[in-house]
Amino acid sequence: MSTLPESKEKTHAEPSSPALRIKNVRKFYDDLEVIKNVSLDIAQNEFVSVLGPSGCGKSTLLMLITGLVNCSDGEISIMGEPVRGPRPEIGMVFQQPVLLPWRTVLDNVLFPIELLRLSRAKYVERAMELLAMAKIDDFAHHLPRQLSGGMRQRASICRALVHNPRVLLMDEPFSALDALTRDEMGVELLRIWQVNRKTVIFVTHSIREAAFLSDRVVVMGRRPATIIEEMTIDLPRPRQIGLTEDERFNQYVRGLRKAIEASHVR
Amino acid sequence: MFGKTRNFSIEAVWPIVISGGLLVLWEAAVRGLHIRSIILPPPSEIFLTMIERRDLLLTHLWPSLYLTVLGFWLSVVGGIAVAILVTYSTIMRKGFYPIIIVSQVIPKISIAPLFIVWFGTGTVSELLLAFLITFFPMTINSALGFQSIDEDIGLMARTFMGSDWQIFWKIRMPNALPYIFGGMKISITLAIIGVIVSEFVASQEGIGYLIKLAGGLLDTPLMMAAITVLSISGLALYGLIAYAERRAVYWQASSDISSSAGG
Repeated sequence: MSTLPESKEKTHAEPSSPALRIKNVRKFYDDLEVIKNVSLDIAQNEFVSVLGPSGCGKSTLLMLITGLVNCSDGEISIMGEPVRGPRPEIGMVFQQPVLLPWRTVLDNVLFPIELLRLSRAKYVERAMELLAMAKIDDFAHHLPRQLSGGMRQRASICRALVHNPRVLLMDEPFSALDALTRDEMGVELLRIWQVNRKTVIFVTHSIREAAFLSDRVVVMGRRPATIIEEMTIDLPRPRQIGLTEDERFNQYVRGLRKAIEASHVR
Repeated sequence: MFGKTRNFSIEAVWPIVISGGLLVLWEAAVRGLHIRSIILPPPSEIFLTMIERRDLLLTHLWPSLYLTVLGFWLSVVGGIAVAILVTYSTIMRKGFYPIIIVSQVIPKISIAPLFIVWFGTGTVSELLLAFLITFFPMTINSALGFQSIDEDIGLMARTFMGSDWQIFWKIRMPNALPYIFGGMKISITLAIIGVIVSEFVASQEGIGYLIKLAGGLLDTPLMMAAITVLSISGLALYGLIAYAERRAVYWQASSDISSSAGG
């Protein structure tokens, strides 16, 4: 299970430099200021959640990191290299699974390999290992419509990881799932992440989800988005669902809720 | 698979029973009321005519079928090509596409005599009418298919560095397939209409010509035999496309829930 090939370390930056650096970033759509001066450093293999109300500009921040949308001001760099467009170091999971209905689960997972013009043969094994880790390898040759919503989202996580990106972006990936599946998916994600260590930026509006998953939670206020609170979640890993009963966990949740409520009052 | 076939045959029983019953009723009515066959021939006579005059019917069927299929393919290829242009070119989409859509209100059949003035009687006029009448549904359906990409799927492909070329072949094309087949199913029946109407006004051969000729001779059994042959051919062409659709658009295959996973 733990024999997945890790990407070859050919970093130009010194090892202590952040995997992702967001520096004084602003974003306007015409006259509308969506993001107001956000700076954030994320260390390699750190799991950071961006927590904020719907429509606060969290998703826009992710778009800026993918390079599909340009910053109006400031700079984003990955491993010391400024982002100017989509990069192979990035894997992304969306709110919806967005699987292609005419492709089998395995072919969907291998889709980024095709787009990046990498050798499919070299990645089939990795794709199957990822599917096994997500416990959907039995469905590798099924079409997406034959899978449940939770299974589809697992497949889309495998797809985001297949080309071994350094940074995994997740845009409210579990918000379309029912509450039970959602809790389960959080545990599953951490289990996969434990084996496939990546720098993760996880956008969510669920306080408990953010606290449960993250090393650090960044709270964003209403538009224009700025960081109003940063909280390091110092809880042991690996984390299981039982952690949500823990008093320390609930202290973090209360702290984060207070920070969000304070931003509403302002 | 077996379950589907069985369901299909059960579904097919009712229309067969009812149309069989109607044919029997028709036969009985014509014989019982002594209706002359010049007004309404009984089904048995139409069937006999089809067998006795099969050479004549087939001689006229082939040119009609040939032009139908050719005109249909021209519009499939042309319609898809224009749909791609409309998808990728702003000038086409904003300038020409509205014109294409508005020009749909022209009853294409009414242009048939004009084609005869321009191109004379015969193949070219027939082909053009078949093409013209089928071109619009093909184009509009295909264009819809190429353009109705889920926004998130496009975003996903761009995030993974997909090029326009890759997005076209790996996303837009398969996404358009069901729409293209929808257009083809409409177009094949329209192509037959186009060819037959042209043959009414401008031909010395073809099933349309034969129907008109038989009408002039008051040979109603031959007329109805020709109509029957034509209908069967149309049904066969439609069935062929429907079959190809089921094979090509496999991911939308019916309500095949039996193999889906729960949980």
